[in-house]
Amino acid sequence: MDGAADYAFPALVAARLALAFAPLPDALKYDHQLSSPLTSYSRLREGIYLFEHGIDPYSGGFFRHSPILLSLFSTVLPLTPYTSPLLWTAVDSVAAWALVRIWRLRTGAKHTSRDKQIAALYLLNSYILLPSLAFSTSSIENMLCLLAIMLACRGRASASLFALASLVQLSLPSILLAAPLLLLNISRPVSRLALPRPFEAPLKRTIPLFLELCGYVALLTFASTLVCGNWLWVEKTWGASLTLPDLTPNPGLWWYFFTEMFDHFRSFFLMVFSVHLIIYIIPICIKFQHDLLYATFLLVGVLAVFKPYPTLSDPGLFLSMFAVFPEIYPYLRHPIVTALIHLHASLLLPLFNSLWLRQGTGNANFFYASTLVFGMGNGAALMDAIWAGLRAAIGKLKEGYEVAQE
Amino acid sequence: MDKVRNGLRTLKEKLRGQGNPTVAKIRRQRALRERVWKGLPYIRLLLFIVGYLWLLVIPSSQLGQGTYIDENALQPGQVNTYWSWGDVHRADRVLADLEQLRERTAGSDEIARYAVAEFEKYGIPARTQQYSFDTVAGNISGTNAYAVLQSPRASGTEAIVISASWLSRTGEGDGTLNMRGVSTVIALASYLKKSSLWAKDLVFVISDGYLDGMQAWITTYHGETQPNLKAEPLSLQSGVIWTALNVDYPGHSFSHLGLFFEGLNGRLPNQDLMNAVSLISRWTVGVPVVVYDHIDPRDDQNQPALLPAWMPDVVKGNKDVQEYAARARNIRRHLNYQARGAASGVHGLFHQFRIDAFTMFAVPADGPHGFHAIGKVLESSLRTCNNLLERLHASFFFYLFVAPGTFMKIGSYLPSAILVGTAMLFTGLGVWVNAGWTHSPVIDGKGEKVASHRDGKAWQRRHRPVLQAVVIMAATHFLGGLLFLLVSSSWYAANPQVNGPILYLLFTAAPFIVQAVPPAPPTHASIASVLKAFNLCFASALISITSVLNFSLAATLAVFLGLPLSSAAPSRTSSSTTRLAIYHAYSALALGWLVLCPEETRNAVWNWDVLRVWFAPFVCIVYVPLVLQAGLVGLLSV
Repeated sequence: MDGAADYAFPALVAARLALAFAPLPDALKYDHQLSSPLTSYSRLREGIYLFEHGIDPYSGGFFRHSPILLSLFSTVLPLTPYTSPLLWTAVDSVAAWALVRIWRLRTGAKHTSRDKQIAALYLLNSYILLPSLAFSTSSIENMLCLLAIMLACRGRASASLFALASLVQLSLPSILLAAPLLLLNISRPVSRLALPRPFEAPLKRTIPLFLELCGYVALLTFASTLVCGNWLWVEKTWGASLTLPDLTPNPGLWWYFFTEMFDHFRSFFLMVFSVHLIIYIIPICIKFQHDLLYATFLLVGVLAVFKPYPTLSDPGLFLSMFAVFPEIYPYLRHPIVTALIHLHASLLLPLFNSLWLRQGTGNANFFYASTLVFGMGNGAALMDAIWAGLRAAIGKLKEGYEVAQE
Repeated sequence: MDKVRNGLRTLKEKLRGQGNPTVAKIRRQRALRERVWKGLPYIRLLLFIVGYLWLLVIPSSQLGQGTYIDENALQPGQVNTYWSWGDVHRADRVLADLEQLRERTAGSDEIARYAVAEFEKYGIPARTQQYSFDTVAGNISGTNAYAVLQSPRASGTEAIVISASWLSRTGEGDGTLNMRGVSTVIALASYLKKSSLWAKDLVFVISDGYLDGMQAWITTYHGETQPNLKAEPLSLQSGVIWTALNVDYPGHSFSHLGLFFEGLNGRLPNQDLMNAVSLISRWTVGVPVVVYDHIDPRDDQNQPALLPAWMPDVVKGNKDVQEYAARARNIRRHLNYQARGAASGVHGLFHQFRIDAFTMFAVPADGPHGFHAIGKVLESSLRTCNNLLERLHASFFFYLFVAPGTFMKIGSYLPSAILVGTAMLFTGLGVWVNAGWTHSPVIDGKGEKVASHRDGKAWQRRHRPVLQAVVIMAATHFLGGLLFLLVSSSWYAANPQVNGPILYLLFTAAPFIVQAVPPAPPTHASIASVLKAFNLCFASALISITSVLNFSLAATLAVFLGLPLSSAAPSRTSSSTTRLAIYHAYSALALGWLVLCPEETRNAVWNWDVLRVWFAPFVCIVYVPLVLQAGLVGLLSV
């Protein structure tokens, strides 16, 4: 870190570290909003315990983390009450650093006055901070996602694709980001929202990159299988994102639908929900072909709303990434409404969760209603980002003119 | 082919209207926006009026519905009761022993040991538990006695608690003894031991003090730790407690059974439990049931009149007015407990562990009921609780008990507070939009006025200082946190009469620091207007969300915040003295309790200290800063 941010960033990290070591209630680690069955710390610990005692953790139905994490934490990085806070703080710091790098690469400046604001917006965003304090592995996913984007912005194609391949190992739906990241690798991350133009670089160049990505994914898959000794992990980790076997409540939109669903509709709707995620890729990449970093940002937003097992850190990543695109702020249509929906949702989610599961006076519908409000808030933010991204191309209007959508 | 195309076109035109559809759409949107903007003041006013009127109408006799039993398994009053005069005699003997103990001014240890000896005499395992709380106001210690009657029919995974505290809830624990309640529980234990039909463990608890004893017992039972509590571990354990009945019988006889049900932090028990016991009391035993200890003056001439004497007789004689007054009294009492998060009796401590509990209060009178009636009610109620196959779970947790046998569903009272909150939200949004625009002379690139507009002025966007407003808000909430630390410290508890006014002055003066914040440049919106917008939006979100958790608190906030926050105006014309006066009015609204109600403050801090009621921190960290922010809005508008 250099320039003006040289003391702000360490100070933020230190504050973050102090929080991580603060005596926080243990209940945080079991909170449904902060960690999903796929990212929960206690499940990870249990899986590691089983693994170290020679029991295949994937033979049960409890452990759904990637074998990569399993091998990492059972060998080089043991999880203890002292290492975990350090590790998760480091993960968040790297992610914040990556976000600042993305901003610098976008503006082309070495360092700017907004650097510390951006780092603070990531490190102090409560949607990101709380899951990280709960040691949810979604923090690691966020870090990998930002690293993949940052490296793609720098044009380090191999490193970026490897980060993406690792991210896909941890969370299958992130494969959505492959298309914009491949294109971002062969274009530049500077803001062209105001000056849209057709994609210039030859698309042919993505083919070797795509093959490289496939190679990394295959390599990591092979490594995972080597770690486990069998293919069971595929069904337990990737399969969970597609078949939703664990209906533990989370702040996303999937779980309640599938608790209510009749079994004979289940497979059909699983297909619909999964395929629905894919339909956004091509339109967004075409519409924002002039600014693929923005397209990536929008797809992160799509994932935050419609992912099968989201935690609060997924919307958190989307909201923090807003910091990189200040040029759209004047064109946002309803920022205060979105902010208010988020304010209500962030108060309602924990309240209704505790009314249902702790106080016992409410029921599942309460929490479901609050996740709907939360989904609405994220959807509103996403819609507004799409609108503002397109609207920025038209610029300031003369009086008496108005922009309409056909 | 052309024909078809033409036909389609005409059809399209008919559907969309003539001309460019996009233009029509833009016109439509503009007209709608204009209409909403013009109507906003009226919408706000309407929402405020309807919201506040709704709050006033809640006690009306036209609202509310009769209580009913939702859980079929309860089957109240379907059994014969066998509690007899022999058992009453046993209760009388226990009472005589207790009176002797009182006369000897026996310590709580001795009383607890006596209770344990009694339980063990009947063959029920019993133990004592010593505890002590270390509070800012001093040390509280005592001894509980408890006994566990193992269920003869099941494995003891579920339990029912029958409890009585040594001090009655009369005067919120003013020192009146609950000796008859204790005798009832002990005699009941010996009686219940005889029957073999219990499917749940019966746990009898004689808790010391008023609330402190039961808090020590129930937290220890659930394995929770509290930093300022030292309590012996419980050597007798039982299963999950589903329901608890608390007996409070302070007088020598009683006329009515009163229901007290508010728990800590505004939690209420499932209504089914109280409805079942009310049915049993009324129809099996013949004891009328009232809400709280409120005996209706229409039933009893000796009760003080509810309506003021100056009212004309025509009004006083009106049935609806009388009903309104009776219900208003119940609701006021309810608001008083629930808004402060205070428990209206020992039962309130159970709710935090998902146990449905309430207090049966034997309203003191010269007659006609005594041990015989209360024993029968308890026996039959326990049989009803024994029937439960799962916890009481129907969404019967949100209600207002307006009169005996009448309650209001959540949908009939909740909108009142929400409407006020919505009105505040709209006010805030209006202020926010207004702050973003200015009607000023149009300056073109060369620094000259553009004459194309009427009087050279036009609506232009301007920058809104969001960051400054957010920092001011965060700072006031931080200040509130500081206030809470001071109020809950032993320094304040040592001398509230002096320290209250000191804190008042300190925290009235502290927000003046904001005047050091550089004012926004004239081309930007003022910090005050953005602060007001955020303040209103945040307060409205709080009211709407608290209403689900604790309606009374939300309604109180709606009254205390609704109009004051909305009418905080950044007025440019008024002199600095007027502005100071307005600020002081706000600070009095925010902090007046420090000077005016030291007793109330002490209670709230005690409740936080011992029972973890979050009313005191809520007031300091949420309410005070919100009102101070509204005060700052007036102060900042220079």
